[in-house]
Amino acid sequence: MSLLDEIVSAFADLDEERTINLVKEALEKYPLNEIFDACRRATDIVGERYERGEYFLSELVYAGHIFNRILELLLPRLERERVSILGTILLGTVEGDVHDIGKNIFKAFAEAAGFKVIDIGVDVPPQKFVEAVKEHKPDIVGLSGLLTLAIDSMKRTIDALKAEGLRDKVKVIIGGGRVDEYAKNYTGADAWADSATKGVKLCKELLGIKE
Amino acid sequence: MHYTDFEDIAEQRLRRIEAAINFREPDRVPLNLPLDFGFRARWYGITTYEFFFDYEKAKKAIIKTATDFPTDFPPSTIIGSGLLIGFLLKDYPEIAPLFGALTGPMHDILRDKYTRWPGRELSPNAGSFQFIGGEFMRADEYDKFVENPSEFMAEVVVPRAHQSLERPGSAEAMAALIRAALEGLKYIKFTDSLINELAKLGYPSANATALTLVPLDFLGDYLRTIPGVLLDLRRKPDKVKEACDALMKNLPYRTFTFKPISSIMIPLHLNEYLSPKLYYEFYWPYLKNIITSFYNRGIRCHVAFEGRHDAYLESILELPKGWGVAFFEKTDVRKAKKILEGHTCVMGGVPPTLLLNATPSEVEEYVRKLLEEVMPGGGFILATSAPIPAETPPENVKSVIRAVEKYGVYRR
Ligand code: B12
Repeated sequence: MSLLDEIVSAFADLDEERTINLVKEALEKYPLNEIFDACRRATDIVGERYERGEYFLSELVYAGHIFNRILELLLPRLERERVSILGTILLGTVEGDVHDIGKNIFKAFAEAAGFKVIDIGVDVPPQKFVEAVKEHKPDIVGLSGLLTLAIDSMKRTIDALKAEGLRDKVKVIIGGGRVDEYAKNYTGADAWADSATKGVKLCKELLGIKE
Repeated sequence: MHYTDFEDIAEQRLRRIEAAINFREPDRVPLNLPLDFGFRARWYGITTYEFFFDYEKAKKAIIKTATDFPTDFPPSTIIGSGLLIGFLLKDYPEIAPLFGALTGPMHDILRDKYTRWPGRELSPNAGSFQFIGGEFMRADEYDKFVENPSEFMAEVVVPRAHQSLERPGSAEAMAALIRAALEGLKYIKFTDSLINELAKLGYPSANATALTLVPLDFLGDYLRTIPGVLLDLRRKPDKVKEACDALMKNLPYRTFTFKPISSIMIPLHLNEYLSPKLYYEFYWPYLKNIITSFYNRGIRCHVAFEGRHDAYLESILELPKGWGVAFFEKTDVRKAKKILEGHTCVMGGVPPTLLLNATPSEVEEYVRKLLEEVMPGGGFILATSAPIPAETPPENVKSVIRAVEKYGVYRR
């Protein structure tokens, strides 16, 4: 098995220390793009195992944690080396809601898949989303929320984007355990996801990226 | 309304609930519609800041909404969050209820770090107060915790979690505790009078009188944060297990009244997160033990199975029949009812997102279809699967009430 394949299997099996050691080793031998690709393959497997009911949320949280540790190792090189990105996602938990465990998992999975993610935190008011869209010009705006009242905040955020003439310049995806088709229609989003893997897949679709 | 009328109504509502819990068909399906604090404040025309910081206004808002949106269960009389100190006082029943809830004024006094409030950290009309939790115990402190959980919580966690109690034994800390107790007294008087007024509207006092948490959830909510516990489960499962066992030996709970405990509320948080391996080692044995031992003392548990509990529905059958009420949030109540038929009373069924967006007739149709499937045989209480937020069109809430009266009747 090549070193990269070993990373994929250690990461997918959630063997934290082994994964970290292998990534350290790989850093000296491989271009960043290939290490990222291994991470993407690993998180794909984690996602599949979750969908099949072999992994549970505790495993997703842990996978996110491992990926963040990997990112820390890659960061110094990320500043020097260009990696290709699929697109930019501006992500935040909407006003009135402070849940962020799910948002952070989605962020890790999206980054592993090759998106650049700008995370603007929790309890983010609509106006702050508007300003961040102007500043970062993302391809996608991702709104996270777990409270029922977050659905209304999502709507107000999307309305604020409309009012500023920004709605047509971005795709909007909403996510979190309580969003559904109703919520998508009510808020005027382009897509909804209640799982990170579904979310990543939809983000690719929204940008017309083929698997 | 005559004096006896409201007693009759209360009696009728209580009978309805009791029948459902005991798997007899009541006259109609009992209804529980938890309106959240923001909804009540808006309907009465005040901000949530006013609601949380002025008990009199809160009382009026609750009475108004309980009148205009009648259901079988009384509204929650706990106007606040969970006060950590309350968990430490269960051996002092003569004062414990004073610290049963963390109210807005109490937050001002104790300056806790685990909640945020409208008009304080939040805008004056934010949807609700927010419980945010916190990491008040470090990952390397499990041994100290296990040695003596209540001592560790009282001496290390409480000072870390409340700014006013940062220096235990200081005049500032003593003053804060005394002021908090006086505030608690005011609050208890308020809940007593609220319960009396609700009785005049025909509401039985059917609320849980205490609250406890499964040890792992206690670690997640108040000590290590939820992501923290999940990492600990990977990195030091033995320590986590020891901590759960230590908590179990002297299970902390908060009481809300000076009367003897009659039923206890247990909200579950980590259930949905855990793989079967973790669930059956770190969660279920404790939950089962808690429910069974309360049951043996004649105390009924109200368990909120948050998230998707599908993977573990069957295990509920290991509990003694009629142990209490299982409230489901994201789990399909149709499925739950089928599996738990004749064993556990199921509550839930209406997602609040439906009420946010549908028309009243769509709501009615949804309730009709649902009831058709789940009402036969009793053992079912219709409820929204989460509190109804302020933005919900009130006519949709009324539509649920009408639909139950129309389609939830077992016999005329
Ligand atoms: C953990 C938790 C907390 C923690 C949050 C810690 C944190 N840092 O996030 C704490 C204890 C602080 C907390 C506080 C509160 N909570 Co809470 N909490 C939960 C709990 C148990 C789990 C939520 C969770 O993390 N799920 C796991 C994650 C991984 O799932 P997820 O978020 O759905 O994310 C996945 C997908 O949806 C997707 N995803 C997520 N975001 C995004 C974004 C995009 C763009 C995409 C594409 C995908 C995506 O990817 C993830 C991975 O697959 C739930 C109950 C439950 N089991 O769901 C209640 C729950 C969400 N909380 C609830 C409530 C009411 C509260 C409080 C308001 C309580 C209070 N009165 O103070 C406060 C909230 C304060 C506030 N204003 O936000 C209610 C909400 C009810 C409702 N429908 O409105 C719930 C449902 C519990 C209940 N009562 O039934 N809570």
